Amino acid sequence: MKKETGKTIRELGYFASLGMSVALSIFIGLGLGLWLDKKFDTNPVLMFVGLIIGIIAGFSNIVRAGKKGKNY
Amino acid sequence: MEHPYLFLTSVFGLFGLEEWAASHPHVTYMWLAMLILIIFGWLAGKSVSLVPETAQNVFEVLISGMEEFVVSITGEEGRKSYPLLITIFLFVLVGNLMGLVPSLYPPTASVNTTMALALIAVGWSHVVGVWHHGFKYIKHFLGPVPLMIPLFLPIELIAHMARVLSLTFRLFGNMMGHELVVLILLMLGGMFLAPLPVMAMGVFVALVQAFVFFLLSTMYIAGAIEEAH
Repeated sequence: MKKETGKTIRELGYFASLGMSVALSIFIGLGLGLWLDKKFDTNPVLMFVGLIIGIIAGFSNIVRAGKKGKNY
Repeated sequence: MEHPYLFLTSVFGLFGLEEWAASHPHVTYMWLAMLILIIFGWLAGKSVSLVPETAQNVFEVLISGMEEFVVSITGEEGRKSYPLLITIFLFVLVGNLMGLVPSLYPPTASVNTTMALALIAVGWSHVVGVWHHGFKYIKHFLGPVPLMIPLFLPIELIAHMARVLSLTFRLFGNMMGHELVVLILLMLGGMFLAPLPVMAMGVFVALVQAFVFFLLSTMYIAGAIEEAH
């Protein structure tokens, strides 16, 4: 396999998996918040904290991909 | 949706295990996939010669081509992880392709199998990270500024959990979706060969999903090897 093709495939795989990781990050944050809420009986404070952290985590993926995309 | 007929379930039925086999088709068919791979490996390694012929040629092209590809992504340090990666690729490929054979159930269409594979792949990437950086591997999770550690740590942990889940659900969703579409089309218009075009696309989906799973595991290992930002 040529080196250029390998690099293209690699980047393709990275950027193609971006959307899913954004969505899943938000749901993981929400899920963790809900679970901790149940554990400590602090409904609904930790849910919002978890949701916000999840959203930040998801969008930091986009920022990172944008930085990566600048090299082209 | 129930599978109309599963070959291995009736085989296990001969030993009085039908109930167990019917409720765990992903386990029995995973054994079948393992058996196929072991037999192929044995056939390929049976008569290794310096000048390769027929079967050995095919396997050499596949194995060494993939090895060069992995090393071009991870660098020379990634060569040690290659056996795991190619095993994942071949297992997922065989598992996916089993969905195209009538009376076989693809083990990758069960969330149990794909979750196990994703946990192994991502877990191994962390092992490689600790192996290469020692205790300093924790810097991968802490971000660039020491003051921001309480913010960055949960974010990075969530991002790493999202890797496991995205690997799991991509493969599981694709394979289960394909299986469902084929079954539904078979039910609706099996007499007119309605599932045929979907099955033809299934060959492509099986290859692409196996390759994507392999590629993403490779990239996670490459990310663990490189220096922290």
